[in-house]
Amino acid sequence: MTFLTRRRLAGSAVAAATVLAGCAKDAPQDTFKPKGSNARTIDDLQRPLFYVAGAVGLIVFAAIGYSILRYKDRGQDMPKQTHGKTWLEVLLTVIPALILVGVGIPTVAAVFELADQKSECVVNVTGQQWWWEYDYSGTCGGVEITEPIVTSGELVIPTNTSVLLRITSRDVIHSYWIPALNGKRDAVPGRLQTLRLEADEPGIYVGQCTEFCGLSHARMRQAAVALNPADFQAWVDNQLEAYADNAPEADTLAAKGESTFIASCSRCHQVNELVKKDGTPVLAEPDLWVVSGAAPNLTNLMTRTAIGGWTFDLLTEDCREQLWNASPEEFGSLYLQGVWMNTDADADKPVCFDEATLRDWLRDAPAMKPNYSDPAKLDSTGGRTRGMPNLHLNETQIDELIAYLLERK
Amino acid sequence: MFTTGSKMFVGATVLSVVAAIVFAAATGGAVGLMSTVGLVTAAVIFTFLAGINLFTRDGNTPSMEQGIEHTAAAAQPPVGRSMWPLIAALGVGGLAVGAVSKPVVFKVSLFVLFAAIVEWMVQSWSERASADIRYNANLRNRMLNGIEFPILGTIGAGGVIYAFSRVMLAANPDAGRWIFIFIGAAIIAGAFLFASGRVSSKRTVAGVCAISAVVLLGVGVASALQGQRTVHPHPTVDDASQKALCLEGGEEEVDERASQDVSLKSNVVANIYLREGGELVAVINGYPDEAHEITVPRNAHIGVIFHNDSDEPERLTGRFGSFPDKPEAVSCTTAVHPGKSAYLGFQIPKTNLASSTPLEFIVPGLDGASIPIVVP
Repeated sequence: MTFLTRRRLAGSAVAAATVLAGCAKDAPQDTFKPKGSNARTIDDLQRPLFYVAGAVGLIVFAAIGYSILRYKDRGQDMPKQTHGKTWLEVLLTVIPALILVGVGIPTVAAVFELADQKSECVVNVTGQQWWWEYDYSGTCGGVEITEPIVTSGELVIPTNTSVLLRITSRDVIHSYWIPALNGKRDAVPGRLQTLRLEADEPGIYVGQCTEFCGLSHARMRQAAVALNPADFQAWVDNQLEAYADNAPEADTLAAKGESTFIASCSRCHQVNELVKKDGTPVLAEPDLWVVSGAAPNLTNLMTRTAIGGWTFDLLTEDCREQLWNASPEEFGSLYLQGVWMNTDADADKPVCFDEATLRDWLRDAPAMKPNYSDPAKLDSTGGRTRGMPNLHLNETQIDELIAYLLERK
Repeated sequence: MFTTGSKMFVGATVLSVVAAIVFAAATGGAVGLMSTVGLVTAAVIFTFLAGINLFTRDGNTPSMEQGIEHTAAAAQPPVGRSMWPLIAALGVGGLAVGAVSKPVVFKVSLFVLFAAIVEWMVQSWSERASADIRYNANLRNRMLNGIEFPILGTIGAGGVIYAFSRVMLAANPDAGRWIFIFIGAAIIAGAFLFASGRVSSKRTVAGVCAISAVVLLGVGVASALQGQRTVHPHPTVDDASQKALCLEGGEEEVDERASQDVSLKSNVVANIYLREGGELVAVINGYPDEAHEITVPRNAHIGVIFHNDSDEPERLTGRFGSFPDKPEAVSCTTAVHPGKSAYLGFQIPKTNLASSTPLEFIVPGLDGASIPIVVP
C-alpha cells in the first residue's frame, strides 16, 4: 500500500467517523425530535433551512472538488487570468441575498411566535452553580397552587399546557435548554428572561446547561417531566402535603435522621414545616454558606429521579429504564411513585432506590461532582462554598439520613 | 570629563537616590519598602550605565583621542533655548499648589514634572550628539516620538471625549437628541464631500477639524463649568436618613448616582403601576390579569419598574424584610413624576418565613397602596 493510498484511507476514515458521530440510538437531546409545539415551530423552520443549506453546501463542495481535480497542477501552462465579471458578481450577490430574505421572513415569524407570552402556568427558574431551582405559585394548567412549591432538577409540568418559564441566575450566566420542548435561553444574573415550554404527552425530556458556568458545568443537567392533568394535580397535592403527614415516627432511624438533618444539613437545605424540638421552625440560611445563596429544597426529595444537578440517579438502572421507556399512559403513575416504584406497600425499603449513589453523595459529594468547597481555599468567598462540601458524616449518620430522606416523598 | 550620555545617567542616578530617600521617609510598610528597594536598584543600574558611557566615551569617539572632550560635537553648547526648564518649574509649582489643594492637581503636576525632566534630558543629550542639527533633531524624535505620540493622542482623544460628555450631560435630553443628529449629519456630509472630491484641500479639512476641536473643547469647558443637568437617579438606600425618606415619602432625591442599571430595565420581574385612584398593581409577564402579589426567587438580584400614573410625584418603596441580626432592608425609587417611570433593583436573601416584618412594595403616604412579595 503506497503512502498516498494510506493517506487517502486515513482521510476517508476520519471523514466517515465525523459523519457517523452524528448518529446515535439513544439521544434524548436530539434537536430534530420535537415533542411540543414550540420545539415543532423551531423544527419546521430549521429542517427546510438545513436542506437548503445542505444543498448549497453540496454544490459548493462539488464545485471545489471539481476545480481541484480538473485543474490540479500537472505542469500545464498557466491558464488565462481574468479579473472581474460584473454580471457574475451581481448574480452571486443577488442569489444569496434572495436566499437570506427567503430565510429571514419565516425566521422572524417564528421568533415572534416563540416570544408569545400567553401561558397557563408560570414557573420561576433560577440557575446557580450547578443546578436549577423551580418555584411555582398561582395556578398551573388549571391546578391551583395554594402555597409556593420549590423543587429542583426536574421541572414538572402538565401536558398540552403552555408553561412560561421566568429564568434568572443567582451567580454566573447559565443557559436553560430542553431540546425536545424549545430552544435555549440564557439565565443572566439581574435579568429575568422568559421561555415557553409545552409538551404533547407525558414523559421525561432532558436537557443540559449550555453556557459554560464553571467547574461542574458538564454536570449541570435538567429535565422537564410532563404529566397529564390528573397526574399533575396529584403531584401538586403531594408537594403541598403537610410535613406532619410524612414526619418520622418517634424512636426510629428516620427520627434520628431528622435530628442529624437539622444538625448537619438544614443550615443550607430547607425541608418545609420542619421544626426543632422547641417548636421553632427550621429555616435554612444558604445565603450564609453558599456563594449562590441557595441549596436544593429537600421537602419532597424522593419524588425526584436524580440528585446533584440531576446528574446522579436516585432510581436503579432497571427502574430508570422502566420509567424512561414507559408508555405515555403509564408514565404518570410510575413517576409519581418515585423511588417507591414497584415496591409493595408494606415493604421497608423501596426496590427502585439507588441507595449506593445517595450514600456516596452523602459521604463525599465533591468526589462525585467537583466543586469549590475545600475550606482551605475559600478566602475569596468569605468561607462560602460553590457546591456541597464534604460534611465528613460517619456511616451511622449516613444511615440515619437515608432513612429520613426516604420519607421525603 | 563627563560625556553627554553619562551626564544623563548621572542625573538619573541622583534623581533615583533623592526619590528613594524621600519615598523611604514618607512611606512605610511593605509598599514603601518595595518601592525604595526598586528606586535604589534603579540608582545602581543608572550608575552602572553612566560608568559604561564614560568608559566608551558614548561609543561615538575614540576614547584615546586627546582633547576630544573639548572638540567633539557632543561637547558643543546647546543650539537653542529649551522650554522644558520652564515647564518643569511649572510642574514644581503645581506640586506645591496640589499639596495644599486638590490631589488631582498634585498628580497632574507630578506627571508634568516627570515629562519635562525626561524631555529635557533627552533633548539636551541629543543636541550634543553631533554637529548636525538635523541629525540631532531626528535622533531626539526617534527616541521620544514613540512615547510622545501615543500620550498626546490619548490626551487629545480624551479631551474631545470628555468635552463631548460634558456637553451631553449639561444639555437637556431633547437638546441632546438634536445635538447628536446635527453632529452625525455634519460628519456624514463632510465625509461625503471629502470622498466625492468636492473638497480636496488637506489644509481646508485640517482647518475645519481644528476649528471643530477647538469649538468642542470650548463648549465642553463651558458645559463643565455650568454643571450637569438634574438627572433622575436610580435608587440605593444606604443610610438611615434615606431609609426614612423611603418610608415616609417626600420629593428629595435618594441617590445621586447615574443610571447604571439602565440595561436591566428590559428584563424585570414585573412592571408596577400606581393608578390614579391610588391603587398599586403589578403586571407580570405570562399572567393575563393584573396581579396584587409578586413571587420572586430567593437571593437573586432582580428588579421592577415603577410607573407613576397618578397626578403627584410618588416613589415606590420596597420593604425587603428584617432578618436575624440585621435591620429592616428598605429601598426605594426616587420621587417619580407623573407619567414617568423608574427602576428598582433588589435581592432578598431569605424566605418570607425568616423575616419579622412584611415583605412588600408600598407607596409611602398612600394607604392601601401595597403589593405583598412572596419569597418561597
